[in-house]
Amino acid sequence: MLKIGRLRPHECRGVSRRELLSAGMLSAIGVSLADVLRWQAEAAEERKAPAKSTILLWLWGGPSHLDSLDMKPKAPVEYRGPYAPIATSVPGIEIGELQPKLAQRAHKFSIIRSLRGTSNDHGIAGTIGLTGNTAGAASLSGQTIAGALQPNHGAIVSKVLGFSPTVPRFITVGGHLHQGKRAITGEGAAALGPMHDPFRLEYHPERGIEIPHLKLAEGLTPSGIDARERLLTEFDQLARNVDRSESISRLDAYYQQAFSLLTKAGSRELFDLSREPDQLRRRYGRFRFGQCCLLARRLVEAGTRFVQVNWSSHVEPVEDTGDGGWDMHDRYFQQYQDRHAWMLDQALSALLDDLDERGLLPETTVVAVGEFGRTPKINNKSGRDHWEHCYSGIVAGGGLRAGRVVGASDRLGEYPINRPATSADLFATVLTQMGIDTTALTTNGLLPQGTVIEELT
Amino acid sequence: MRTAIVSVLLSLALIELPPRSAAAEPDLLRLTKDGHLKQRPCWSPDGKQVAFARHEGATILLFLRDLKTGKEERLTSGDAPEYDAVFSPDGASMLLTFDKTSPNQGDIEVYRLALTDRKLIPQATTQGALSHEESPCWSPDSKRLAFTSTKHGNQELYVADIAGGDWVRLTTDAAIDAHPAWSPDGRTIAFATNRWGDLEIALIDPDGSNLRRLTYSKGLDDYPAWSPDGRRLAFTSNRDGNLEIYLQPLSGDAVNVTRHEGIDNFPAWTPEGRIAFVSDRDDGFDLYSLIPSAP
Repeated sequence: MLKIGRLRPHECRGVSRRELLSAGMLSAIGVSLADVLRWQAEAAEERKAPAKSTILLWLWGGPSHLDSLDMKPKAPVEYRGPYAPIATSVPGIEIGELQPKLAQRAHKFSIIRSLRGTSNDHGIAGTIGLTGNTAGAASLSGQTIAGALQPNHGAIVSKVLGFSPTVPRFITVGGHLHQGKRAITGEGAAALGPMHDPFRLEYHPERGIEIPHLKLAEGLTPSGIDARERLLTEFDQLARNVDRSESISRLDAYYQQAFSLLTKAGSRELFDLSREPDQLRRRYGRFRFGQCCLLARRLVEAGTRFVQVNWSSHVEPVEDTGDGGWDMHDRYFQQYQDRHAWMLDQALSALLDDLDERGLLPETTVVAVGEFGRTPKINNKSGRDHWEHCYSGIVAGGGLRAGRVVGASDRLGEYPINRPATSADLFATVLTQMGIDTTALTTNGLLPQGTVIEELT
Repeated sequence: MRTAIVSVLLSLALIELPPRSAAAEPDLLRLTKDGHLKQRPCWSPDGKQVAFARHEGATILLFLRDLKTGKEERLTSGDAPEYDAVFSPDGASMLLTFDKTSPNQGDIEVYRLALTDRKLIPQATTQGALSHEESPCWSPDSKRLAFTSTKHGNQELYVADIAGGDWVRLTTDAAIDAHPAWSPDGRTIAFATNRWGDLEIALIDPDGSNLRRLTYSKGLDDYPAWSPDGRRLAFTSNRDGNLEIYLQPLSGDAVNVTRHEGIDNFPAWTPEGRIAFVSDRDDGFDLYSLIPSAP
């Protein structure tokens, strides 16, 4: 059952919230009829692109490529780790033994084994991974890289495809990404403006889905109101006064979108995972990341064009609000084996199958990658440290080629020896599949970052 | 006092359907139903309680469950991640592992917990180094413990007296040695190691001599647990493609005793000879036990 307090549509009085939204929302955020017509034209154009949507599974903290997608069984024991490679559904491709479900689905995705970056700082590498550029990145020590922060890939999608007043184009599932206590940059729209910032959701295994951005804006603070009934009345008063009140204009785009999502019955259903068959929910896994992947599928199905699922908010595995990050400097194998490995294996496999069964995989690109890899040489705490020089990622669907390996690393997994690629290249490929190529970027005043990985297209 | 700040955080809480009943095997018992991931269950010697670590999100804390009433309590009152609790053979105390969060990430230590007053006593710790000591187990006479440590730069097996004193290093290999389990007769310690490739079960004497390999599978073998009579070892293996509990006599072939497409992991023995384990066969991860078939 869905519980959203008392904010239900049938409780509206006077001007309905739906009317409020349709009449006031667009103008309140500065969207003109011309904009709408242009977006409709662009929407028609975008249908020619193979991919309509992208789901980015952001493996925050940096998974080890040597224990998952780029095994080195012949490397010395100090490098290869305790796991063996297993065959996959694609002859000649092997992955780690702790991904048996993904191994059975290797024909549905491709592996890039030659990703490389330029920073081993989570903050900087994270910004690079999410924007394709170091500009504006904040390091662990607090230094900010010179240059204007670039927008998140999802914000670019939102900008080019246009704001949707009903379902957000760009949604992030999970809390703000942190390195230590410092939030990283690159999750938002930067200069594109808050209208293209991600609409943020969170899923908690006990509490269900939460919408952190649904807060009353400054100026609407109903001092003295401490009951939801009074709060509801205030909302309704706002609705009735929308034409003459400027309060609505002070609401940010998040709030208005949240308002829409929560007052329209169809939108609320979007977040109601209990509408999914129990068997399917189990296939995704009864843990946060698994259910977040299921939510991501529902979102793209409903029209969201870019969903970023944050595995965790913090990089560390033992002090996080999510499932614990991938930054396992110590006890990597213990934690990977006990939790992270099968969680990723189960959730990503279920997501690929679910999209496939619904016919959505050809038009939905799925990317699973972190900000960097981990040191091929095991450290003295049974862990692996940061390694930006070579790492791996998974791409699937969206009209991209599947069942292949792009690039290769050397015998120890330390450096690419074939087809090096950057995260900017990866997302140039992803965006191009959505019809957002260099021309589309520059037309919208955006800076192209990276080069399409032709082997995937 | 009424708050001046109104923050409306709507929660779309979901009603979780009740989990399916345990699988049809007549000998299978489902002991918990909360669905949270659990690890390393350990039965009290009198069979009345089970201790285990439970994950909720990224937190991992130890719980003690009364098997008759189902009542649970935290084993400690701390906030630090804690796991791997094991009862002493006399049931009077436990060994457990504490983790640390930043800025001391990686500083992991073994403590002893007196069950009478819940007093925590440092048992295997280091000063000035972010080494980790974990996976403790008791010798059957309760006088010593075996554990793993990275004190000397790689994860190795060690033995120490409960009363204190120097540690005895049992292994010296570039591979990872993990999860020691002391045999009931006190003569052997089983552990997991990747020195021969991927993880296999090995045996070693408590003085570090007589290292020998017990399993030869393609696939991971881990978390060895001795049967109460000391004649068999239960362990986790993915040799058939997913994680199952296998039973291995000291000579002879291992047998898959769980045979389920779900994840079965972290074997332990109950005093009466049932194999307990953590499984996601129903909905989420819960504790189960079964009567093992031969061998």
